Amino acid sequence: MTQTTPHMLRAMASGAKIIRYRGVIKRYGDFQALSGVDLDVHAGEVVCLIGPSGSGKSTLLRCTNGLETLDGGDIEFEGAMLPREERLLRAVRTRMGMVFQSFELFPHLTALENVAEGPRTVLRKDAAEATRRATAMLAKVGLADKAANYPSGLSGGQQQRVAIARALAMEPDVMLFDEPTSALDPETIGEVLSVMKTLADEGMTMVVVTHEMTFARRVGDWVAVFDAGRIVEQGSPAQIFDAPLTERTRDFLSHLGWTG
Amino acid sequence: MSFDWSVVWQHREALLAATGMTIALTVATMAIALPCGLIVAALRLYGWAPVRAAATAYVELFRNLPLILVVYWAFYVLPISTGLGLSPLATGLAALALNVTAYNAETFRAGINSLRRGQTEAAMALGMSRTQALRRVLVPQALRRVLPVLASTWVSLFKDTSLVSVIAVSELAYVSMQIRSQSYRVLEMLTAMAAIYWLLGYPQAKLVDWIQRRFAVTE
Amino acid sequence: MDFDLSVITEHWRFLASGIGITLVLSAVSGATSIAVGFVVALLRLYGPRWLRPIVVLYIDSMRAIPVLVVLVWTFFALPILTGLTMPPFFSALIGLTVHLAAYVAEIVRAGVESVRPGQTRASLALGMSRAQIVRRIILPQAIVRMLPAFGSLLSITIKDTAIASVIAVPELMRQSETLAGQSFQPIEVYTFAMLVYFVILFPVTRGVDMFYRRVAHLGRS
Repeated sequence: MTQTTPHMLRAMASGAKIIRYRGVIKRYGDFQALSGVDLDVHAGEVVCLIGPSGSGKSTLLRCTNGLETLDGGDIEFEGAMLPREERLLRAVRTRMGMVFQSFELFPHLTALENVAEGPRTVLRKDAAEATRRATAMLAKVGLADKAANYPSGLSGGQQQRVAIARALAMEPDVMLFDEPTSALDPETIGEVLSVMKTLADEGMTMVVVTHEMTFARRVGDWVAVFDAGRIVEQGSPAQIFDAPLTERTRDFLSHLGWTG
Repeated sequence: MSFDWSVVWQHREALLAATGMTIALTVATMAIALPCGLIVAALRLYGWAPVRAAATAYVELFRNLPLILVVYWAFYVLPISTGLGLSPLATGLAALALNVTAYNAETFRAGINSLRRGQTEAAMALGMSRTQALRRVLVPQALRRVLPVLASTWVSLFKDTSLVSVIAVSELAYVSMQIRSQSYRVLEMLTAMAAIYWLLGYPQAKLVDWIQRRFAVTE
Repeated sequence: MDFDLSVITEHWRFLASGIGITLVLSAVSGATSIAVGFVVALLRLYGPRWLRPIVVLYIDSMRAIPVLVVLVWTFFALPILTGLTMPPFFSALIGLTVHLAAYVAEIVRAGVESVRPGQTRASLALGMSRAQIVRRIILPQAIVRMLPAFGSLLSITIKDTAIASVIAVPELMRQSETLAGQSFQPIEVYTFAMLVYFVILFPVTRGVDMFYRRVAHLGRS
């Protein structure tokens, strides 16, 4: 084939590779969670990881910021291999923001304090600077009026938006989303996806594990389909959703009732 | 049978002082055992393997020994092994503190472990170190969960201070029994002793109930 | 520090009899306190209303008064009231039972109350009587949930028998005291006693943990 593949087009059009996954392998005892994953994430891209539960998408994300260690292969972040030493790894984590499916806000802190916690404790900003950042980030996600609320007084969608603000307050170079809307009521999913779209439009590099196919189709720049620890197909959203190449992808999409 | 309850009133000052000693022992022991228990718990959760093993051994040892035996053993062994001439009071305090620290360590460890794993991960994802995660995220939440257990441990400790009477520390049990021996008013003094413990202990038990209701954790 | 184990080996019978008394006292007072505690709990949960405050008073009082005080009172003061003298072992048995039964009652009550009310409703809907519900549905589930607490209570029982030494029950603690005093070798004797108690207690707590893990699923509703 001499025609340019989507990969080539993408490499030509996009900028620096923020994250490179090379042959990533992860085992849990006898279970092979990841069996050799190759993927690139370019600056400003929104990469969506889709696939059935247990196919390794979340595992890959957690390997990215060192919450899990690799059993094989490498992950490169901004040109350097992901360090193994805890202290260096911590420094890398400050440049990545992670949003969890279960929000994981700190229940003993208000929304504002949650968002300010990273800048204060990790980046060692003074209280005034941390509060300033936190206020700005809360406003950005549309929750300036909830600054004094505790997580127990917020809806799921609001909690997740605070969680996004908490990650953004660290001014990361990339945002990692681990099924951010899976634990939300249908009514509140929209408000979170809308915040994520705003971020994407502003040029944030994002890696999103999601079951929200509409989001992936509309906002994603690149989609990787996972199955049993491997990427079975990756390409532009148009190609994956409208003209999937592999049987596996077609199966998965039809299971979801995806009609395009 | 004739009972002379005035003997209690006659010795009220001694009994009052003894009650004070009981309370002081309880407070002093907890003042030591709370921070020490937290440290041992942290060592057990986050130390290197040999440190973890040592901390676990310590906790398991003192949870599986009768306190009265620890009191006797401390009385005879501590002076020789540490070379210090410790008063019965100091020895009793040491025995109590060793015992309660072990229980507290277990309480704190269970409290921290009961927190969702996601909380640790969220803290680490922000770039926090283990110590920062403990200090800023885990311990504040764990404290709320361990408070009912600590309150219950406090009441047990209050009762256990009676055991240091065997090495002649002048707390309530020892003094009551001394007065009994001297005055031969056995029923009166022993009943008074039980009554004083009851008067102090009953409200504490009720307070523990209140704390357990107030701080019940719903997931 | 010279460790002269001969004092242990020479008097092993003396110490062994102490261990025997410890085990017997633990087992018997454990059994009686469970029996009494169960009855007290059932009285509190299902008995006549006027009885409840009395039961609650008893239970809460035992949480306030140290075991030492209960044992001493039972041995020295009770005979004065009743005119009966009792051997130390029986005083200890009575004192321990009275004290521990209160804790058993609390454990049983907590276990029963932790069974979901839906279970009772479902049983009533099937037409079961209250007694049948308690016997066939509630108690089986509740008992599984009570096991960890009973395990730790067993451990406490064994430790509390050591306090019976103050009323001269010849269990291990008392025998150790006597031997330590006579031989002037308290370190060896008390260290040996610690070893024995640890060897008895450690498997008890561990064993209950493991047993509970096996049967926990039976109690979940």
